[in-house]
Amino acid sequence: MPMYQQGNSCCSEHALQNGEVDPAVKALEARQDEIMRKLYELKAAVEGLSKTVTTPDADLDLTVSSSLCTQSISAATFQGTTDLDALLGKDQGALRDIVINANPAQPPLTLLVLHSLLSQRYRVLSSVHVHSSVASVSPQLLSCLGPRHADSYARHLFQLGFTLIWKDVPKLQMKFSIRNMCPIEGEANVARFLFKLLAPYPNDPALATLVDQWVDVAFFQLAEGSAKEHAAVLRALNSALGRNPWVVGPEFSLADIACYCCMLSSGSAPSAPANVQRWVKSCENLGHFSPAKGLVQ
Amino acid sequence: MTKEEVQGAAEEDQQVQSKKGLKKQQKEAEKAAKKAEKQAKLAAEQQGSEEDDFSKDRYGVSAMVQSQQKLDRTLTRVQDLTTERADQLIWLRARVHTSRAKGKQCFLVLRQQQFNVQALVAVGDRASKQMVKFAANVTKESIVDVEAVVRKVEQKIESCTQQDVELHIERIFVISQAEPRLPLQLDDAVRAEGEGEEEGRATVNQDTRLDNRVIDLRTTTSQAVFRLQSGVCQLFRDTLTNKGFVEIQTPKIISAASEGGANVFTVSYFKTSAYLAQSPQLYKQMCICADFDKVFCVGPVFRAEDSNTHRHLTEFVGLDIEMAFNYHYHEVIDSITDTMVQIFKGLQDNFQTEIQTVNKQFPSEPFKFLEPTLRLEYKEGVAMLREAGVEMGDEEDLSTPNEKLLGRLVKEKYDTDFYVLDKYPLAVRPFYTMPDPNDPKYSNSYDMFMRGEEILSGAQRVHDAQLLTERAIHHQIDLEKIKAYIDSFRYGAPPHGGGGIGLERVCMLYLGLHNVRQTSMFPRDPKRLTP
Repeated sequence: MPMYQQGNSCCSEHALQNGEVDPAVKALEARQDEIMRKLYELKAAVEGLSKTVTTPDADLDLTVSSSLCTQSISAATFQGTTDLDALLGKDQGALRDIVINANPAQPPLTLLVLHSLLSQRYRVLSSVHVHSSVASVSPQLLSCLGPRHADSYARHLFQLGFTLIWKDVPKLQMKFSIRNMCPIEGEANVARFLFKLLAPYPNDPALATLVDQWVDVAFFQLAEGSAKEHAAVLRALNSALGRNPWVVGPEFSLADIACYCCMLSSGSAPSAPANVQRWVKSCENLGHFSPAKGLVQ
Repeated sequence: MTKEEVQGAAEEDQQVQSKKGLKKQQKEAEKAAKKAEKQAKLAAEQQGSEEDDFSKDRYGVSAMVQSQQKLDRTLTRVQDLTTERADQLIWLRARVHTSRAKGKQCFLVLRQQQFNVQALVAVGDRASKQMVKFAANVTKESIVDVEAVVRKVEQKIESCTQQDVELHIERIFVISQAEPRLPLQLDDAVRAEGEGEEEGRATVNQDTRLDNRVIDLRTTTSQAVFRLQSGVCQLFRDTLTNKGFVEIQTPKIISAASEGGANVFTVSYFKTSAYLAQSPQLYKQMCICADFDKVFCVGPVFRAEDSNTHRHLTEFVGLDIEMAFNYHYHEVIDSITDTMVQIFKGLQDNFQTEIQTVNKQFPSEPFKFLEPTLRLEYKEGVAMLREAGVEMGDEEDLSTPNEKLLGRLVKEKYDTDFYVLDKYPLAVRPFYTMPDPNDPKYSNSYDMFMRGEEILSGAQRVHDAQLLTERAIHHQIDLEKIKAYIDSFRYGAPPHGGGGIGLERVCMLYLGLHNVRQTSMFPRDPKRLTP
């Protein structure tokens, strides 16, 4: 689409003797500005649509102006309903606060992504604390959950609390209800719990198990494994992605989040095979992964 | 009678006389001989002992120091006796903690505040038998000046703080002698309760300690506790000063009870009566109305509460804060909690020696906290308690056992010993507390807890004279008694809030101790007025 350059030639030619511009000219210019703006918007919309065609499940490219984005991304991404009361217990009239204790040496990228998704779905009060067992933490880690919500002085206005504590712990740990729940350990397990607050696992038990299997592969082999293991996983990913747009099938799932984040933290993304690279781009187009990417850079 | 007879009689007399005389003389001679013998023996002995005591001028009881002379002698601190000083000849002044003779040697432990070191006097070319005997007989707690060589030891001396060296004494003088019978033994005073029971050894109970506080305060544990307390005060002042606060002094003799009539001490004031201040509340607020913006004060607080608990004193040191804020009282909470966090960090970084010393006698978990400080709403606290099985109303105040239970639940979930509970129900707070704008059942007030026990009660204050009057009437308070207080808000008052902590309670809870008398030097409670 050819772009029209805005020229100033109209003004000078039609300037009246006393230096003022003819109001008729002004009106014309205003209409021209309006048309230019609409053209820009249209261009952006077409670009977004083109990405949608190539990237399954992408509503709109989030790099485009946010004024075009009227629908919550995750609502479209995840089908199926979840019931907070069923998962977290009856609402006692006070904030339900999820506490995550993480070691600053191993930031939990998947949980940051899930936090961002949760924040779009629910009213989430996010806080970051540093435990006295840790001397100090980088400013990036302190602001990894995004800017403080304007209403954070009124805790009861929120549906869910997400409290991240940087602490000297050997393994990542999540605590919610002291009475009814034992702590959950390990990033993979916490990720599974948090994901269920967004959307249920696939109904098909085989598919659900496949998601879990990929999550395990991501955490045990991609994040922690040797170079050989990385290569093997990437090959497996490549063949899986040859058949489907997403790791487990036609639907975006926790497996995609886990694989993307573990690849990011192990640094194997640049050397990945073709299908994997394409899938990485698709993931990024969804826009959920910016918190994770921001931390690794 | 003839001349010869008279002569004979005289001669007889003389003979009789000389017999008596002889006897007398003999007796005297015997006496003199005995005396001479005794003297000779004594002289011989003395000569003998003087001959043996070649170190006569290296020990003894010094004359009382009345500043007879100004000696330019450097005394080394026991704390500084490390292997770096090996083979140096030093002087030091310390207390004799223990001394015991063992054959030709005498072992002493010399103590200086939190530190102690092993020392020995051995019979040799420097020290005589008499000197060793003298050293063994110096009474416990006596203050001595000692000149000694610092020597490295092969095996660590576990029972002393200075484990790598010992002192070989060359000279020892008693500067101040202690009476032989001590009201309590320091070793017993430092012994942990459990250890005492196990080994069947004595420990000292609290009343004995408090009655003989001067000696009890000499223990390594007490020295550590009060050094840490001094640190808390210092950190409080420094942190607030850096935040732009001004330190103020408020009067303690006041005309009207500030918090409520019941728990106040009355003093006679010339022809009338006055009261001892229960808190600097009124004056802190007046300073804010006087445009000091942010103030703090450190001073005594008097509460005539007849409570004999582990955490109540009738007189304690209050550390109080008050500040004007811009739009929301959370600005005040943030300031107070940040100050507390700076204090905790300062103690963690600079007072580890003291914390470890206290833990030896009173073991406890190290103090944990979050930065920024955890703030939960009252409703959340109630929800957590109800989940744990406690039945309570929405607007009910927290009882002490519930506070402790909530502290444990918060510790379990967030792993912090310090947190803020915000938005208390209005009904349980003083009349000058600002009500919540959105929910009349609640208020803009907060409590802070350490290890599950309350250390601070604070709030946004009512700064409007009319609302203040309404609230006072609602609480059935005699307006005449608080007229001066209400008047302070009539000529423009900024929105403000604050809170106060008790120094003794904060120290007790930080160290994990169980009785506030352990952190008060000369505690005052309903049963104790002296020392």
